[in-house]
Amino acid sequence: MEQELQHLEREAKETLATLQDQSQLEEFRIEYLGRKGKFSSIMRNLGKVDKDDRPRVGQLANTVKQEIESLFAKKKENLDQTRDKVQAGGVDLTLPGRRPTLGRLHPVTQIMNEVCQVFENLGFAIAEGPDVETDHYNFAALNIPEHHPARDMHDTFYISESILLRTHTSNMQARIMEKKDPPLRVIAPGKVYRCDSDITHTPMFHQVEGFLVDTKVSFADLKGVLTVFTQKIFEEDLALRFRPSFFPFTEPSAEVDIACVICKGEGCRVCKQTGWLEILGCGMIDPEVFRMVGYDPEKYSGFAFGLGVERIAMLKYGIDDIRLYYENDLRFLSQF
Amino acid sequence: MKFTTDWLQNYVDIDGLSVTELTDKLTMLGLEVEATTPLYEELAPIKVAKILKAAPHPDADKLQICQVAVGADKYEIVCGAPNARDGLLTPVALPGTILPGGLKIKKSKVRGVVSNGMLCSEKELGLSEESDGIMELPENLEHGAQFISAMGMKDTQIEVDLTPNRADCASVIGIAREIAGFRRLPLKMPVENGEITTTSRAFSVEIENPELCPRYAGRLITGVKIDKSPWWLQQRLLSVGLRPINNVVDITNFVMLEYGQPLHAFDFDTLAGGKIVVRTPRDNELTFTTLDEKERPLEPDMLMICDGEQPVAVGGVMGGMNSEVSEQTTTILLESACFNDVSIRRTARKLNLSTDASYRFERGVDPGNTVTAMNRAVELLCKVASGSCTEGEGIDVFPGRQEPTTIKLNATRCNELNGLDLSRDQMQELLESIQIECSAEGDDILIVNPPSFRMDLEREADLVEEIARLYGYDHIPIALPEVRLSYPDQDPVRQMRLRTADLLARIGFTEAINYSFSSPDHLDMMALAADDSRRDQIQLLNPLSIEQSVMRTILLPGLLENVKRNISFQKTSIRLFETGQIFLPTGENQQPKEVTRLAGVVSGDIHGDHHPLHFKQQDSDILDVKGCLEYLLEALRIGSPGSVNPVSFVIPEEKEAFVDEDQFLTLVADKKVLGYLGKIASNVVKNFGIKQEVYFFDLDFDLLCTLATTPKSFTSLPVYPSVVRDIALVVPDNVSAGELLESVRGSREKLIEQSEIFDIFRGGKVPEGFKSVALSITYRSPSKTLTEKNVEKAHAKIVSMLTDKFGGQFREA
Repeated sequence: MEQELQHLEREAKETLATLQDQSQLEEFRIEYLGRKGKFSSIMRNLGKVDKDDRPRVGQLANTVKQEIESLFAKKKENLDQTRDKVQAGGVDLTLPGRRPTLGRLHPVTQIMNEVCQVFENLGFAIAEGPDVETDHYNFAALNIPEHHPARDMHDTFYISESILLRTHTSNMQARIMEKKDPPLRVIAPGKVYRCDSDITHTPMFHQVEGFLVDTKVSFADLKGVLTVFTQKIFEEDLALRFRPSFFPFTEPSAEVDIACVICKGEGCRVCKQTGWLEILGCGMIDPEVFRMVGYDPEKYSGFAFGLGVERIAMLKYGIDDIRLYYENDLRFLSQF
Repeated sequence: MKFTTDWLQNYVDIDGLSVTELTDKLTMLGLEVEATTPLYEELAPIKVAKILKAAPHPDADKLQICQVAVGADKYEIVCGAPNARDGLLTPVALPGTILPGGLKIKKSKVRGVVSNGMLCSEKELGLSEESDGIMELPENLEHGAQFISAMGMKDTQIEVDLTPNRADCASVIGIAREIAGFRRLPLKMPVENGEITTTSRAFSVEIENPELCPRYAGRLITGVKIDKSPWWLQQRLLSVGLRPINNVVDITNFVMLEYGQPLHAFDFDTLAGGKIVVRTPRDNELTFTTLDEKERPLEPDMLMICDGEQPVAVGGVMGGMNSEVSEQTTTILLESACFNDVSIRRTARKLNLSTDASYRFERGVDPGNTVTAMNRAVELLCKVASGSCTEGEGIDVFPGRQEPTTIKLNATRCNELNGLDLSRDQMQELLESIQIECSAEGDDILIVNPPSFRMDLEREADLVEEIARLYGYDHIPIALPEVRLSYPDQDPVRQMRLRTADLLARIGFTEAINYSFSSPDHLDMMALAADDSRRDQIQLLNPLSIEQSVMRTILLPGLLENVKRNISFQKTSIRLFETGQIFLPTGENQQPKEVTRLAGVVSGDIHGDHHPLHFKQQDSDILDVKGCLEYLLEALRIGSPGSVNPVSFVIPEEKEAFVDEDQFLTLVADKKVLGYLGKIASNVVKNFGIKQEVYFFDLDFDLLCTLATTPKSFTSLPVYPSVVRDIALVVPDNVSAGELLESVRGSREKLIEQSEIFDIFRGGKVPEGFKSVALSITYRSPSKTLTEKNVEKAHAKIVSMLTDKFGGQFREA
């Protein structure tokens, strides 16, 4: 009980120092000194103290109470004086400060920068490419020939028969691999386009594609890099799972799910009761892609991944309608 | 792909596996479970009832009063169905039950007789589209039992989102094979693999385009009685959302779902010449009416199934009206075939017709299973539709027969790629668990014979994936790559973009991102001339809407739309910027030139939403925008006066359509136009529905990135004090501030350190047509403290130079 009293005194002192106005002061009085306050509740146990110790503890209690009361009185006087000063025409320190206007970066840019930063720290270079792309770089060079059912997965906007709006930033894979020899560590952020528009799809959105090519790169390495990434972007102990999937330009292919950030894996509307949220697609680069750019698939291996920036921002910030990103409403933009 | 747990049980034992365990496992095998739906939950309150006695209703001809037993309870229920009769078992909805259609059953009076519930038809239970009476249940059921459990309808539907490579799993057996694999249990097949042993003489099959049809098999079934399917068959179809039609059609659908082999039944008597010809349309065959009663245009490359005269089906997509099985049909030609995936895909696309059959053929149908699946259907047709067929007799044309292939899997390489350490035996065991045969060779090689149903296994990489998948991605360790250290390439344009964005945010600009495509109307709203080059825009061939149909050639319209939106939500003080591409056509079928521009808009109070107590309302004007750009350039160390490439603000001769004539400046750097700024013309602002002044800037960001920056270099701090002298000059109104300052700066007076204008004043004692301009000039010498005399001399020179040059008049400040 002695310890409790000493602790109370320390806590009361610290709290008092942070109070700014009379109403907070009154709350303090009730919390510490009121009939049902912290001091009284400690005193209620005085009866349980050993008889011999009781006088000593009683005295300590008195000292503590007096100390708190005197500090309280001092603070009260202090606050009263401030009020007097204001009334006398002094500077009213309670007025809001005179501050410059703060502009902000678009949330998509912010997340994209965060994503890029994680990979830059891992030694990846950043490359950007054209939004309007040839069929070759967007599809054929990624092992997606014409009439491949995988093209159904991309609702493509066309400009002409062979020119289109890129459906992923994976177009940068072949563009870079054609020019450079391994080892390569590159991420490609940028805008991508698909003809789809509803609460979870906008016809333009942002993706970050990444790939690493070297000798002896394994699926285990891919798991490692993406685990680091998701934990840096979300939280350190976030659970994730790699689930087999299919992309024509990777083999093995995987989709990565994170434990639902809304329900923590319990199951909710956002994760469709599964407890998991899909955040990216990835895999080991298909030997066919290497062959087309003239790399020897026997010598080199590598992995690639692609993630949607809007989706990550939605999960991270709890945004429920993707269309908000492109309305550029300051009430939205100024929240980030 | 939909199936149910009960259906799976026919092929693999799933006892002891909860639905969640099953779906988790499937998902982790790459068969992503999209939805799990307990079936017929809405029918849970329905019970089995027995009609003890059905007697006519005294006041209605068509109604009967039924005494009904439901377990120990007895009810009196009025029923309008003609088949209500003594002893019939039928489903009953007691008061309080809500039927699938939303109808709530209440105790009610029907023509004066109280009815304590409703005896239900299949239609009322949502089990069929039509019914002509109450549902008749098998006699062996116990009345009082729950309808769905008594009928074996308690089941869970599972829907898997199949990836395009897993054609083999577009069947219940395919899914079961995966489950049998991970449970290491046998897969139970409904029929043995079969062959055609006797070629039928009753009909013929001819394939004109073998490249489009690698295999075509058929069998003739006679004596068929078209009828309703038995309940078990209807229920299977219903459980995956298919509507039962008649026993023949239902069997073909059932076997398609079971084996993944689409089948088609022709009414043999409608086929001219008893003949099947697989071919593309003749020149005169321009249209064809499919089963859904739609007349469809044919194209020369579409593969048709024809009889001796004309097309009778679109191969692999849909059958035709002309050969449809009808109630009168007695002889059926059953087709089981394989078609070229790309051809089917093209045809289905062109016809805008996606069917369960085309879905499977587009992905690939196992050519090794053609006859087996057909035999399964024949077996059912004989059993369920009382057909008969000679054992082993039929026709099997197989021009696309391929030699079985083998793939070498290097175990070491496989482990390296997966980051695993499995023995070759373990790999073999994994593959064989899903019926992929293999054998060992040498120390490190597995010779793998991919089965015909796994058309996706073509290369070693496919097997490496298969090993990883079967072993479980979860069990692959987590590592980080060992790489040689290297300094990554930097993208200077990207870095500049991040930097400018950051600098603009510091002075209150918020970043906007608009769509790269926009409305062609924007250019009219911007009042651009008909021949303006920015009207040459790239069109999307398949835009979602006209508002998003052209690639933008200018950023401002997007930003003006944003201004409008914000004002309409009472946010009137606006500073927005966007860094983004515009798209300039370079020629037919060419990628456009993508130019990055940096544009911004400024409107309303310069102080933003801040406390009106501190800041008096002050509307933005062009000098705010100019100041922002000066700040930006200074911060980027670009174009400061005296630098290598000074950037200057120039009043242009030519006007811009959307800019206020009097408030327009261009930024010139390196003799190139870096951009422009000004006030948006009032008519343009109005076109965008904005009622306040808007100022803007629009820079060529790519050019900005190429401009040299002034290197940082140290200049000694002045040791000697400076002297400041003011001048007030009365000059004609048309003398610009810029000219005055330029003259002072260009005067070659070495002592001048800085010159500034600090006041401009009109009216008062200043005559009409003149203004008073106050300049402040700072003098300093690097080598000594200036005397009054030194300063006077220099200052006098400047004053007289200015009065001479501008005809001004020196005025005591």
